[in-house]
Amino acid sequence: MIGSIYGLIAMGYSLIYSASGLLSFTQGELLMFGAFLGLTFYKYANLPFVISITLTIAIMFMVGVFIESFIIRKLVKAKANLIFIVLATIALSIVLKNFAMLVWGSNVFQFPQIFKTGFVKIGDVNVDPTSIMAIVIAFIAMLILHFFMNKTRFGTSMRAAAQNPLAAKTMAINVSRTTYVTWGLASALAGIAGFLIGPVYGVHLEMGTMIGLKGFAAAVIGGYGNMYGAIIGSFIIGLVETFTAAYISSIYKDVISFLVLIAFLILKPRGIFNSKVYDEE
Amino acid sequence: MEKTTVLKVEDLDYKYGSIHALRGISLEVNEGEIVALIGGNGAGKTTTLRCISGLLDAPESGNISFYGESIVKQKSDKIAARGIMQVLEGRHIFSKLTVKENLSLGAFNRQADYASTLQYVYTLFPVLKEREQQEGGTLSGGEQQMLALGRALMSKPKLLMMDEPSLGLAPIIVRNIFEMITKINKDGTTVLLVEQNSKAALNIADRGYVIESGRIILTDTSNNLLNNEEVKKSYLGEK
Repeated sequence: MIGSIYGLIAMGYSLIYSASGLLSFTQGELLMFGAFLGLTFYKYANLPFVISITLTIAIMFMVGVFIESFIIRKLVKAKANLIFIVLATIALSIVLKNFAMLVWGSNVFQFPQIFKTGFVKIGDVNVDPTSIMAIVIAFIAMLILHFFMNKTRFGTSMRAAAQNPLAAKTMAINVSRTTYVTWGLASALAGIAGFLIGPVYGVHLEMGTMIGLKGFAAAVIGGYGNMYGAIIGSFIIGLVETFTAAYISSIYKDVISFLVLIAFLILKPRGIFNSKVYDEE
Repeated sequence: MEKTTVLKVEDLDYKYGSIHALRGISLEVNEGEIVALIGGNGAGKTTTLRCISGLLDAPESGNISFYGESIVKQKSDKIAARGIMQVLEGRHIFSKLTVKENLSLGAFNRQADYASTLQYVYTLFPVLKEREQQEGGTLSGGEQQMLALGRALMSKPKLLMMDEPSLGLAPIIVRNIFEMITKINKDGTTVLLVEQNSKAALNIADRGYVIESGRIILTDTSNNLLNNEEVKKSYLGEK
């Protein structure tokens, strides 16, 4: 299940990188924000599950659009050095965390049970139905995104604008729009991840930090900027964690995951899908 | 009968920071014409085209009108949607998208007659039909130029602007591309052609402008320019 959550986050990183060549470190905190929104709608406003997740996706999409339109675009237009834009996203993640603390406080919140039934037996293993739901929804989200990017005119224009913004402009494509939609989608994916993981691990201010970093590691392993690589990388990180926890100790699962990242950076920096991560000579 | 003016550029001044790239450029393109803009490297040809298509910031001064309406401060996507298509220097195809996806993006803003326009492009360039499922980046240079041209035609442009279509191509391919530009023009598309290969451009153009250091220094019919001693010496490589 955790692999699919990393997948949603990693796809967000890849989308943003492919669309604007930027690295955004807000993905983890956006996940946390999505989880708190989901909690608010589902637990406190008592809205049905489908409406709660739909509202969360819609608001998170708008948050992503806002971040691109009012912060990132201004920095890019002012020709800010890339490193400062990355720093701005880190600053933004701190702002998001503090904003969440002001609104929701710093306690750990429990999501109400989504399924009234207990564990589901698959073979000899008991599985939490919430985890199954999370995997299914994450998988559906990935499929929808794949369909949107490859089979719709707007999605194709987004891929085109990401590859060659200058040429896209001459094709009557509004590149500003494709860019903010991309940031909106990345934020919505993080929101979905937060909503799905909240019922399993609880909702708190720090929940996004490690997941955000692991999602980043997954995106690098898959081939930074490649959406499908991000999914593969996520399942690799998810499997590494699961096997480490099962056969070594859960204490080491983070360290081994990041060692895998370092190994990839040294031995295969372009990731599984051979993305361009270094400037060409 | 007087021809309709498609594009009118008046006293256009453009600066890249402190570099004065265009100094009072004026030119006109009438309906049904091929107009060539020739000049050396760095003369301001590409800057002129990019000012027209809105790819650069607004110029210092001057006006650009398309069918009588000013487009000078409009965004590039709005200008393209009006019917001005530019084939960029260096082709700029979407290398990771298939040939068919590239072509479909040419018609991003214009879905009417999509199938018949695609058929027209495939008739002009049969190789694109053969390779429609291949990624654009796998095509040869000549094929990429055909794709860039075909993609621009997918929008049924009212004005097609081509920036150095012969750049880096073998002579036989260049001949083929220029034949196609002539055909496209005969089929009803007005063309503004920017070229360093001045002879090839003037051979197919009705009129021409010579640009030097950001200024138009000469304008005439193509035949007169081809026979002008100064042009022959400076731009056609003749002594």
